Amino acid sequence: STLPAVAEELLREIRKAFQETSHVPDDLLLGLKFIFGPSAVPALDLVDQRSVTRLRSPSGRTLYQVLGSSGKLYTCYSSCHFCTCPAFVFSVLQKSESLLCKHILAVYLSQAMGACQELAVSEEQLTNILLAEEEHEG
Amino acid sequence: LCRGGLAERLCRLQNRERSAISFWRHQCISDDRIPSDKSGVLVVKILEIFEECTIQVAICQQLEQSPATLSPEDAVISAEEPILKVLFTRETAAHLRSRPQDVIHIYPPWQKLLLQNADVPVIMNTYFSQKVLLSEHSEAREKTYGLTKMLIRKNIISLAQTFRLDDLDDKLQQESSDNQVPCAPQTHNSSDSKQHPLALSAVNDSLLEMVESQGAVGWREVQVRVTIQRVYCLPAREGYRSHTQGNKPLCARPVTNSDPPNVRLCLLVQDAYGMFSEVQLQFLSSTDDIEQYCRRWEGKSCCLAGMKILQRTTRGRALGLFSLIDSLWPPVVPVKVPGQSQDSEMMTTNLPPPSFCYVLTVQSGEIHVEVDEEEQISNLYQPPAVHDLKEILLIDGCNKRCSFWAQVLYRRLQTKHSVPIDQREMLLFVTDSTLQDVAHGIPKVVAVSVTASCVLSMEIIEALSAGSQLVFFKDALWGNGRIICVERTVLLLQKPLLCSAAGADLSELTGPVRLDELDSTTQASSVCALRGTVVGVNESTAFSWPTCSRCGNGKLELCPQDRELLYCNQCSEVVTTPVLKMQLEVFLSCPSRPQSTVKVKVRHEVSIALFVLLTLLLFLQTYEVQSVLGKEVGLLNCYVHSVTSHPNCVALEEIVLL
Repeated sequence: STLPAVAEELLREIRKAFQETSHVPDDLLLGLKFIFGPSAVPALDLVDQRSVTRLRSPSGRTLYQVLGSSGKLYTCYSSCHFCTCPAFVFSVLQKSESLLCKHILAVYLSQAMGACQELAVSEEQLTNILLAEEEHEG
Repeated sequence: LCRGGLAERLCRLQNRERSAISFWRHQCISDDRIPSDKSGVLVVKILEIFEECTIQVAICQQLEQSPATLSPEDAVISAEEPILKVLFTRETAAHLRSRPQDVIHIYPPWQKLLLQNADVPVIMNTYFSQKVLLSEHSEAREKTYGLTKMLIRKNIISLAQTFRLDDLDDKLQQESSDNQVPCAPQTHNSSDSKQHPLALSAVNDSLLEMVESQGAVGWREVQVRVTIQRVYCLPAREGYRSHTQGNKPLCARPVTNSDPPNVRLCLLVQDAYGMFSEVQLQFLSSTDDIEQYCRRWEGKSCCLAGMKILQRTTRGRALGLFSLIDSLWPPVVPVKVPGQSQDSEMMTTNLPPPSFCYVLTVQSGEIHVEVDEEEQISNLYQPPAVHDLKEILLIDGCNKRCSFWAQVLYRRLQTKHSVPIDQREMLLFVTDSTLQDVAHGIPKVVAVSVTASCVLSMEIIEALSAGSQLVFFKDALWGNGRIICVERTVLLLQKPLLCSAAGADLSELTGPVRLDELDSTTQASSVCALRGTVVGVNESTAFSWPTCSRCGNGKLELCPQDRELLYCNQCSEVVTTPVLKMQLEVFLSCPSRPQSTVKVKVRHEVSIALFVLLTLLLFLQTYEVQSVLGKEVGLLNCYVHSVTSHPNCVALEEIVLL
């Protein structure tokens, strides 16, 4: 498969450019638009608003929470591409139309630009967040 | 959207792009011909198409010129034409309705992306693309194709395939169904990342088998038994650390390799078939003692498991490594011949020296090297062959590894101030009884150059600054008349347990050390002894300065309270009896080299004989050159800075031997 490698390389270039110049050049932004389509602008908006938080527990487990535009908090996993938002279920899982939803893209972009908020939580708190998602679904 | 934020910026860029695209498309339709501006246009021929998410991926061949002269039917794919992966958005793809063998013109601005582990470049931002219809025949075909829908393969991307943005670790390999055995180093499948202790299979004795089974099922459980021939440290390529501790001058402190660690412990191992491999282990800190590892591990057997291949290197690319391997060749016991069964009697010592070597490393977080420290020394082990310096100077050839004991007489640091202290090269002047006791013909003292790539333990560095030391040089490199310590050379203070000593066991030198006298063969960057008569003094270079009697600090200050007194800010105390240091250049006439002007830089503390006199004279400000002229100067030990022939001049500096 090609697209994931391309997406990864694009994100790496963004990270490198940002580290070197604190600025993301236009062509990389347009590249984001090309690859991720309609998710690109909303994801950047989430980054602009510092909506992404990385939760870390003492054992080293991590989790991302993204504050959506509607005010809802979505959870994204670290070890695979997964988000609790409906767009993920629809576009990524069901129709395989996108690689990521805007929240997961926002997580990567925040990583690349150092815009993640960091929050240390206890093991129990992390577990509760994960379980709460399950309950919500079920 | 945030004002001035990235989203707003992309919105603007996107709007601009969209209008450019529609304008361009409109122009193409209305003009009904290919726009004439040819610069920057990418001409490609589609070989294969598939879809991933909504992006259409076209494997294409880049065509050199406009294919007006070629017809698609008889264009053969030639090997020289570069292959590209061109991505199209759903909208562009719908507009193009491409099929394999179609030729597409891609107008700028398009973007090229080079992926890390792939050869094929990726072309993006291909909005301005147009299909080229070459002939009547294809136009007609185009119309019929428009009616039937082509089925395009769609790749489903796994969710497990995450993106790794930092460069430090390897990328996670994808869990795709078409798994090839990689020949470049790749990390394990994400499904393997659950780390439970794996049941290791029976022990193998072939490194080659282990290397060749990489990537196959169960490769991580393969264990290989090898002999550790050498233990040494390599500087880590990730960088060095320079150390400046507060305001203290660098030269006052010994060089340290303290945190973060920048030195890797490495083993050179050999299997039962005689094949070598360099295994890179963990990083060491300054407190780790390389000497301990050498003593405990060299010569012992160990089991390697789950190694990662870093590199397959060859003789031409790794001269240093292969000079070490050559010194261990041929093997001391017969080795197995590959292809025979394990129990076969086919063993040989008659093999050509190795031409390649694998460099392995441990998977991060797991130590897969188990050394049987209790066990006996392996038969295959070849301890370093120790020679004395006289023998080494007579060795024929280049890039030969040699080991020897020597007394270090003088140490000279490279004086490039731009280089941090732990990266500086050193020149050590060494000798042993075989050089000292000889009448003439061979130099009495040899210079050993220690490069920055030779890792020195803190113990050695401190010992060298302290005083004259007997040092064991293991696997130094001899060539072109010089001994150098490079990567894989180890300097030790204590004798390794097993050494085949060709010469006598060197202990103390009998009598004081003698240097060669200055003569017509003396070269720059060497040490020598000289005697002569003072014929002149270079008054312009004379100066003296007070130093602290406690710590030797040369930068004393005036006391703020009492400006008659001197203050040392390193000791944080007043210096009541400063030591006066003086530096002066004198011209000597030396009978051993009568044609040359001999210029010697001398310092007060060094040469009492001449300078008690000069000190008094200068200090008392009744200095008269006349009173010094004609004085005999007896056997000074000096370092030769330079030797020039026109004018015939030798510039030296008086030194103190350790």
